Amino acid sequence: MPDQSLALSVRGLTKRYGDTTVLHPLTLDIPDGEVFGFLGHNGAGKTTTIRLLTTLLPPSGGTAEVAGHDLRTDPLGLRGAIGYLPENVRLYDRFTTRENLMFFARLSGLSDAADRVGRTMAFLGIEPLAERRVGTFSKGMRQRVGLAQAILHDPSLLFLDEPTSGLDPMGVRLLRDIIEQLNARGMTIFMNTHLLSEVSRTCSSIAVLAHGKLVFQGQMDAVTERYGDDRALEALYLGVGEQESAA
Amino acid sequence: MPDLARFPILTIALRDAREALRDRFVLIATLALAAAALVSVLSGAAALHGDATTYAAARDQLLALGRSASDIAAPELWPLKLLRGTIEQIEIMGAVIALIAGYRAAAAERGRQTLALILTRPVPRWKVLAAKLIGGVGLSAGALAVVFAVSATLLHLLSGVGLTLNDLGRLALVWVMATLYLSCLYTVGFALSLWLRRPAAGLIYAFAFWLLLVLVAPQIGDTMDPDNQVSGGVFAALSIPRVEQDRIKAGFAGYEFFRNGIEVASITKHLERFSFAVLGIKDTYTGRPISEIWAERRGDVLFLFLFTLGLSAIVLLRPIDPDRLTQEI
Repeated sequence: MPDQSLALSVRGLTKRYGDTTVLHPLTLDIPDGEVFGFLGHNGAGKTTTIRLLTTLLPPSGGTAEVAGHDLRTDPLGLRGAIGYLPENVRLYDRFTTRENLMFFARLSGLSDAADRVGRTMAFLGIEPLAERRVGTFSKGMRQRVGLAQAILHDPSLLFLDEPTSGLDPMGVRLLRDIIEQLNARGMTIFMNTHLLSEVSRTCSSIAVLAHGKLVFQGQMDAVTERYGDDRALEALYLGVGEQESAA
Repeated sequence: MPDLARFPILTIALRDAREALRDRFVLIATLALAAAALVSVLSGAAALHGDATTYAAARDQLLALGRSASDIAAPELWPLKLLRGTIEQIEIMGAVIALIAGYRAAAAERGRQTLALILTRPVPRWKVLAAKLIGGVGLSAGALAVVFAVSATLLHLLSGVGLTLNDLGRLALVWVMATLYLSCLYTVGFALSLWLRRPAAGLIYAFAFWLLLVLVAPQIGDTMDPDNQVSGGVFAALSIPRVEQDRIKAGFAGYEFFRNGIEVASITKHLERFSFAVLGIKDTYTGRPISEIWAERRGDVLFLFLFTLGLSAIVLLRPIDPDRLTQEI
């Protein structure tokens, strides 16, 4: 029986390309209802981890239960229970917002696709964009439509890969509000980022990945307690970087 | 309308079709193919119209003189023969367009990251690939329908001869065969652009395939044919009787097997042989009933069908490389 209290349970998950290990055995537990920040420098292995957990990449070793579904034995069930927003998603430029969302709703097997699309657009405040082609959108508008496709089917676990990348301050704030609202609904959020300010404001727990290795995992409260000031996260992040450099 | 949520293959294929209708490349390519095909149809139709008019005038004169129209032999007019240029354009230019369309389908899904979004839906990956291939068949069928419809309409209107139901049936048969041919090339363009690290490299390899199987192989086969070495044919130039021709050819059976083998390795040659026979473009088939032609040339259909099926099976069975989900420059 899958452990219902954990949204994500990873055991020794590894990814290798030939002799190069891009993700060393990763063990990680994320309880239901968390907003989890996955931190790391560019190239640390964050996107690889998300791709492994969303079944886009096959692991070289280890296993994981994602939203109650085994990564190796139940990939279809897993995909039905998660949402995913890649970095810099462009969607179908020649299609309107509604057409894009209807397509992904149907692929998610939603028989009430039109209702779900309507409700999701209303939730994200993108109804005025419904009949406009996505190709004409700004980065921020496109990101909201991208987020809409990720939450259409009401997943229990949402993966966001650098969701604030390229957004202006208003867009970042809007996204933060949406994440908080989704989390208040009970959705677990797994967010890749290297923006410390966003993590400290949004996340309830974090992990830090450096050169494919997990170097820290804990609750945000514990981080603040351990380092004892407002710049706790930055201290942790830079400290990890220095340790890695020294190693 | 069925509930599309239960049919992911249909959902993806319909989306591809809708996108194709909005894609300027598809529109321009289809019109260009139709225009290229029409050039030969127009000139041929004008000549045919001239023949038909001359005959009609002569017959009217005879009738006016109180004589029977059967006093002069009615010319045998075969309007479908004028589609030779159309078939040749589909073989060469249509093939290029299909390769590019296949490349664009893969490159666009990778570049927009929508392939990653599709693959994180609860849909088996083979269904995603099958839908893309079906989309290619639909695109080929649609574009060719336009080309054939325009060609047939102009042929009908300009030649003054008119197309019979039998003619339309033959056109439909060639349309199916040509759809199979272009679908095959679409699949090549799509697969290579999906498999290789850079889709553009896939397109280059696809062109190499085109060069080899569409241009070189049929040409080598033609060049190696001893009868093609002199204009009008060696045997005809030397006035060698048929029986003697067969005896000479029997002495080169091994060579001929090899030459023909190169030629028939090309899918293009199978489309050409079948289409030229059905449309009566090749004189030995002109005016013969379709059942006879089918019995003789169904091997071409079988070859093209099996080739396309085999290619599609390779695409469906080969796992999507997870490192090829985005477009690398």
